[in-house]
Amino acid sequence: MLLKTDKILPPMLIIITTLLLLATALALVILRITRPEFRFNWLVAVGGAFLAWISVLLWQAQMPLSLALPSWQPASLFSESPSFAADRLSWPYALSLATLALATLLTASVRADFPNSISWAGSLTLCALGLLAVTANNPLTLVLVWAALDLTELITMLRSVNGSQSSERIVIAFSTRALGIVLLLLADIVSVAAGKPMDFLSTPPQAGLFLLVAAGLRLGVLPLHLPYASESSLRRGLGTTLRLVSATSSLVLLAHIPASSLASPLTPLLLILALASAVYGGWMWLRAPDELAGRPFWVIAIAGLAVASALRGNPSGTTAWGVALVLAGGALFLASVQQTWLNRVLLIGAWTLSTLPLSLTASGWENNVGGFVLALPFFLTAQAMIIVGFIRHALRPSTRPSLDSQPTWTKGVYPAGIGVLLFVQLVLGFWGWDGALRIGAWGASVAASLLTLGLLWAMPRFPVLNPVRAHWVQPAPNSRLDQLYQNLWGLYRFFGRLSQTISNTLEGESGIMWTLLFLVLFVALLTQRKP
Amino acid sequence: MSAPLLWILIPIGIGALTFFVARDRLLIITGGAASLLLAGIALIVPIDEALRLGPFSLKIASSASLFGRSLVLNPTHAPFLVIVYGMCALWFFGAEAAGVARRLVPFGLIITGLLVASIAVQPFLFAALLIEIAVLVAIPMISPLNQTPGRGLVRFLIYQTLGMPFILFAGWLLAGVEASPGDLALTIQSTVMLGLGFAFLLAVFPLYNWIPQVMDESSPYIVGFLLWSLPTIASIYGMGFLDRYAWLRTSAQLLAGLRATGLLMVVTGGLWAAFQRHAGRLMAYTAVAETGFILIALGLNPATSTDITFLLIPARGLGIAIWSLSLSILKIKNNDEPLRFTSMQGLARSYPLASAGLILASLSTAGFPLLAGFPPRIALWEGLGQQSLGSAVWFLVGLLGLLIGAARMLAVLVMNKEETAWVSRETWVQRGMLGVGLIGLFILGLFPQALRPILEELPLMFQRLGR
Repeated sequence: MLLKTDKILPPMLIIITTLLLLATALALVILRITRPEFRFNWLVAVGGAFLAWISVLLWQAQMPLSLALPSWQPASLFSESPSFAADRLSWPYALSLATLALATLLTASVRADFPNSISWAGSLTLCALGLLAVTANNPLTLVLVWAALDLTELITMLRSVNGSQSSERIVIAFSTRALGIVLLLLADIVSVAAGKPMDFLSTPPQAGLFLLVAAGLRLGVLPLHLPYASESSLRRGLGTTLRLVSATSSLVLLAHIPASSLASPLTPLLLILALASAVYGGWMWLRAPDELAGRPFWVIAIAGLAVASALRGNPSGTTAWGVALVLAGGALFLASVQQTWLNRVLLIGAWTLSTLPLSLTASGWENNVGGFVLALPFFLTAQAMIIVGFIRHALRPSTRPSLDSQPTWTKGVYPAGIGVLLFVQLVLGFWGWDGALRIGAWGASVAASLLTLGLLWAMPRFPVLNPVRAHWVQPAPNSRLDQLYQNLWGLYRFFGRLSQTISNTLEGESGIMWTLLFLVLFVALLTQRKP
Repeated sequence: MSAPLLWILIPIGIGALTFFVARDRLLIITGGAASLLLAGIALIVPIDEALRLGPFSLKIASSASLFGRSLVLNPTHAPFLVIVYGMCALWFFGAEAAGVARRLVPFGLIITGLLVASIAVQPFLFAALLIEIAVLVAIPMISPLNQTPGRGLVRFLIYQTLGMPFILFAGWLLAGVEASPGDLALTIQSTVMLGLGFAFLLAVFPLYNWIPQVMDESSPYIVGFLLWSLPTIASIYGMGFLDRYAWLRTSAQLLAGLRATGLLMVVTGGLWAAFQRHAGRLMAYTAVAETGFILIALGLNPATSTDITFLLIPARGLGIAIWSLSLSILKIKNNDEPLRFTSMQGLARSYPLASAGLILASLSTAGFPLLAGFPPRIALWEGLGQQSLGSAVWFLVGLLGLLIGAARMLAVLVMNKEETAWVSRETWVQRGMLGVGLIGLFILGLFPQALRPILEELPLMFQRLGR
């Protein structure tokens, strides 16, 4: 029988890319166990990542792609089954993640712990899961991938920390993300209750806000929280991949929320919360002692802008901010050695974040639902702080080792790793997706650029804008927010004592009598409901 | 050869014989292999059909007579037997890792045989007696003869025994209802009797306080086996009532009552789980919530309720097995001391697989995606959402409680005070059993259709339910 390759191959592209990354990761682990002396691990890793990157580019030839996994059975119980799709909004995410994987491996050549095949395998696995998340075609698929990412992150983080407080923060972060999963599922249930199983093409109005809050919660935006503010020993490579992939997997949900489903009295409140995250994150990022200490603030600041785009019914804008978060952030966080011209080239990231016409984020301030005028200046200020922080971190004089002091072979490889991230930022401004070749809201982008210039001028002149010392950066926003969490903890303990008292009563000497009394009351209550 | 002989009397006989086996390893191999063989025969050999093997012909008759009563295992019972004995094999093979083979294998085989008999016996009311005998056999399994029985065990016996007369009495009244269907008073009386009987049998709220107490007093693995086997069989027995009596099956009040009772169990189980500081009691409350899930499923739209119920059963069995095995391993490490959170801090670093088992099993119960509990929970939640959004929100409250319980246990297990290296102190057998179980949790979570060939045949046990 002849295979109909034109029907089979396009959907397979999604799985081919993912399998390339996963198979490379598996090969690295197997090589590490079976042949610890093997010297070409890095080449294997880079080869796999490069092939995956090429394969994502090939998606463009057959877009949109879709891939359905075997249906969940019985069909009467499951209205959805896991399936994946790539369109012109998910493709830039996929490309940025594949680029991040490649760049992480190329820049690994100058790391102190080189070679570290387990860390590379972790990065590749995370990027593969990220690819699955950005191509998830329905909420069911997305929660499955989110869960896989959360478990991977949990294990990776737990293995990298010591001390009960750090462990506790990791568990809190995991629980918060799990709560995001529950909210996404709740959106599905609300949709089912309204008589329509939810998919990303037709989200009912009742479910839209739940989707937004689910993504916001996972990103640390709604409400503002920073579970990983004090970064662990996972710094440049795996740490960067972990933070950026995790954020991307949540941001992609925002691009799936139709504007019509966000018409709610709660929308202004959510806008204020997103604004708070963007401004707070932007301010902390601006004043962070270095880019790694500021990385969590980078994520929540840009996530705040992305949430604002979603609230304005602008999926292209949401995607633009999400992709900029990965590409511009990835280039900055992976840059671990010093070279003057490379530092200057990093400023392409500032262009990417500028929202100026033909930049990657040109669609960032487009507004499809009206309103929003009052909040815009504050968001523009946040954007300016993010750009200025980016420029400061890219250009700052550093004690980092020079590229010239590295082995000869890395002098070409390392810049290629940073370069591929910058190259893709430029390309996506012109080609390949719905947000390309846009003029955008040029008034807002010019205003943001002017604010950026103003801040750059003011920074050396006003001490308040200077970076704080590293030990001044708090692991989490304190004061009122901490007080709120303390109060919630107090409430929890109160209910804990209450439940303990009831348990002791029911399990004590007189427990059987109490139980029978409860039973009679329960039966009486149930029978009263009869007509 | 008859099916009742093969799947009821032979396991009881093997169980009795294994009391005389001295070596634990041999005991486990005997019990596990026998269960696996019985599951395999149920899977391959048709009941009531001649199977030709070369010159030989083998036919397993579906019924046998015992003390004037019939024991009938039809061809439609085959998937049920596969699941019951397949799960038993898993439990028995895990008994060595849990260190309770001597008690679990002999008593477990006898209890399983009796519980299968309760499904097979005709008239079906005698099932209550067989379940009661199984409960009595379980007593020495839970508490060795040289130990003073704890308060939980006494309550277990009291509540389970109280259930039996209610069910028998309900059966007698139901015969009257069949004779005069218009008698509303008789109908209400029989429904209340039946409800009370199953409330005791299934440990429905507030009759479940023996579960955390027994978990506190006895081996988690043995209690886990009981928490898997008794409610599963009692649920199927209860479904038998719904199948037989059309007025029960079509009663909107009864279905609403089942949903309300199930929700109450899920919510109370979840809330109590959220505040526990004892891993064993936490498992007990999640087992309570699990039974609540089954009751909710039975109260849903009759067209889908059996499918959801049977989807819940394998996930529940696997989850409880992994959970109780992990608890047993940690309890052995703890010198059989109670598994309070204070004594479990940082154990994940020295017992990573057992800790992973505890966490993943508890997350599975809470319906965390990727794990076995997720597909049935989401189907159940959607079904409940179609009935009432308010009920779906209460369901969410229960799930959140279970999730908080799991997160707290995770926090305790990874809470190391000083720098400790990650090492695995589990034995190879323990690693193997936990590894297989954890892989199973993920397979069922990602591909719930994996067990479809068996599960889709299960509703055929009933003539009208789910049709």
